[in-house]
Amino acid sequence: MSKNKYWFFLLLIIAAILTSCSEKSQPAIPEDITFAATVNIKDMTISFVDLTKKELAAEWIMEKPYTGALIFPDNDSILLYGKQLETADQYSLKEGKLIDSWETGEGIVNGILLETNEIAFADQNLNKIRFFNLNGEEEKQVETERDPLTLLESSAEKKLFVLSFNHEKLGIIDLESKEKSGEFTIHPLAAGAWLNEKSGEIWIGGHGEGVEIEQNIHVYDTETGELKKRIQAPSMPINFLGQENHVYVLSHGSNMLYKINESGEEAATVSVAANPFEMAFANDMLLVAGYDSNDLHILEPKNLKTLKNIKVGEGPFKIVIRESVK
Amino acid sequence: MKFLTNSLAKKMWLTVTAAIIITILYSYFLSYLFYEKIYVENVRESLLTEGRSLSSEYKGGPLTEDLREKIDWYNSKAETEVFIVSNPRELSACLPFEIDYQTLIGEEEREELLKGSAVEKLGYEKRFDRKIMGVIIPLLDDNRLQGIIYLYVPLAKISEITQDFAYLWFAAALIFTVISIILGTMLVKKLTKPLLDMKDAADHVSKGYYDIHLNIDSKDEIGQLASAFNHMSSSIQKEDEKKKDFLANVSHELRTPISYVKGYSEALISEMAESEEDRQKYLQLIIRESKRMERLVGDLLDLSKLESDEYKLEKMPLPLGQLIEDAIEKYKPILREKNLDLQYRLDPEVIINGDEGRIEQIIQNIMDNSIRYTGEGRIRILLSQEKDKCVIEIEDTGIGISEEHLSKIKHRFYRVNKGRTRSDGGTGLGLAIAEKLVKLHQGELTVLSELNKGTTVKIVLPLFEIR
Repeated sequence: MSKNKYWFFLLLIIAAILTSCSEKSQPAIPEDITFAATVNIKDMTISFVDLTKKELAAEWIMEKPYTGALIFPDNDSILLYGKQLETADQYSLKEGKLIDSWETGEGIVNGILLETNEIAFADQNLNKIRFFNLNGEEEKQVETERDPLTLLESSAEKKLFVLSFNHEKLGIIDLESKEKSGEFTIHPLAAGAWLNEKSGEIWIGGHGEGVEIEQNIHVYDTETGELKKRIQAPSMPINFLGQENHVYVLSHGSNMLYKINESGEEAATVSVAANPFEMAFANDMLLVAGYDSNDLHILEPKNLKTLKNIKVGEGPFKIVIRESVK
Repeated sequence: MKFLTNSLAKKMWLTVTAAIIITILYSYFLSYLFYEKIYVENVRESLLTEGRSLSSEYKGGPLTEDLREKIDWYNSKAETEVFIVSNPRELSACLPFEIDYQTLIGEEEREELLKGSAVEKLGYEKRFDRKIMGVIIPLLDDNRLQGIIYLYVPLAKISEITQDFAYLWFAAALIFTVISIILGTMLVKKLTKPLLDMKDAADHVSKGYYDIHLNIDSKDEIGQLASAFNHMSSSIQKEDEKKKDFLANVSHELRTPISYVKGYSEALISEMAESEEDRQKYLQLIIRESKRMERLVGDLLDLSKLESDEYKLEKMPLPLGQLIEDAIEKYKPILREKNLDLQYRLDPEVIINGDEGRIEQIIQNIMDNSIRYTGEGRIRILLSQEKDKCVIEIEDTGIGISEEHLSKIKHRFYRVNKGRTRSDGGTGLGLAIAEKLVKLHQGELTVLSELNKGTTVKIVLPLFEIR
């Protein structure tokens, strides 16, 4: 009997060790570093690049195919989501541990943190924009056209612009009422957008339909939805960043980065990375992730000179920035 | 089906034919496979080489119009379908965005191409709506996939070539099949003919004609069988002759005493004997001949018993010296009567495992002969021990046997002098019986003799083993 008991306890201990092992903990990210994290699709990793030292600080090897991430205002929580995942998972960076899982269901393709400290998710399974608070509680769902992808917040007008990927529609959601307030027709396979609030313009890029390849940025009037002009930015401009009267446009088809002034004139241009999808601003640095070249390019925003090129995991698809806490 | 399997020749023919056909079919499919594989491999190699050499024209950066023109020109001249693609959409560059478009290359292929390796295609391609053998060569500028060169050959062309091959093969196979079946049939006939001959010969033998001899020269199993058959039939023939001889001998041996008995008894009945003395003499003769017949029949009976498998010796440890001494005791009067000298030296320690009565019979039969054929001189009996065996030697100074008869002396009814009657009283079976008995005791009996000098019978028996 005593022997049996002994074995039973031993088994319990082994089980405890095993279960603790299965809850895999990731390398902790110190609070005092400013980093850019890339979510890498092909090898299911997250690479943390220390932006001060300009080197790779850590790598998280994930078990789920995450495609995007969000950093919370607390600067410690990172929320990871993916279209094929049932949950969005909240990790603590300093602990390197999963702290919460949000039951979102499959279909989340994009998410942004709104000025109101709410999160808006684009859900392509439900074809809805879903609003969550930071505790992971869902507050509202708003119907959109099918396949919402790009989300753009207008903080001045308190509006959310939603681009439908396959259905040539731009939907506008009033962020105060969280109701759909309008929509207009745009070009097909639109992706990436920039809002020029001063001139009431929305610049929208895209991939182009079928065998056609998008060569232009389409500029629409945010009120009327009228196509005001096209700006050449070949090919497949799909990412936009606006800063100090300039728009940085990333075209993944030709690996080109354009610096364009607000009137649409090219200020600088550079060929960068291989098949770049994503870019971000951090500390006066422009970061571009090469999806095929598996690297993160750090550029000087002024003249688009490459400062450094850092290898990250395979297939970087999303960049999130966290400023150091201290 | 029974029609096909009722003879060995047909069975063998069927086997040979089936083996030929199976071999041909099998080798056809195998070589077809190899041929196709080698051909496809060849095509693949040449496509790769072609593609690599074309891709060497690419010097980095976006694809130039010049390069496109070169590839188009090459395509118009070469048999291979070649085209160049730079559309990032076709190259799956937008892949993570799940655009609903059938791209030319898939995700994994793009990964391969990004690594700089060529991608091979074999099978149906939806884009071309046909089966193809193709290779895709990446045009890489550092780690950017700027474009691809796609080279392919419709598989139909390959199968056309293998079809030609198939016709050629079919014709060759047909001729081969016919020739090999003819040769196979001849071979089967050659193989089975000796068997048929043997069957006829066996029929012949079973009808009682043993003088058959098969002329089969081959040294294989059938040849061996034939020689065994020949051996068997000659053995049967010899056995048959022996049997005939034996019967002739027996009847001959019996005829003499019977004619004696018949003659003297008739003489008695017709009162040819005049005096009582003569009658007594006749009756004595009749009794003697009857006794001889009795002995003869007794010996024959013994011999037949000994030759049957059921005959069992009642073995026990025997002091051989004692036994021989006892046996020769009863010969002393007759030896004295014939004035023969008896000498013996018997090792008293010899013990054998034997049947007492039978061992005595052996000694008796040999002693009978010795006494019978020794007119004067002596008879010497020696018993000695040699290793695990004992040797009995019975030596006389009798008439001896010439060398030509010596080898046959142990045969039943064998007589050195054919003309001689059995006036000496022997049945002609004594030595044969003695030898049989010695053999039953795992021993050996040899006769050594010199004409007019004497005969020595040597018996070697195993000693009794004390375990």
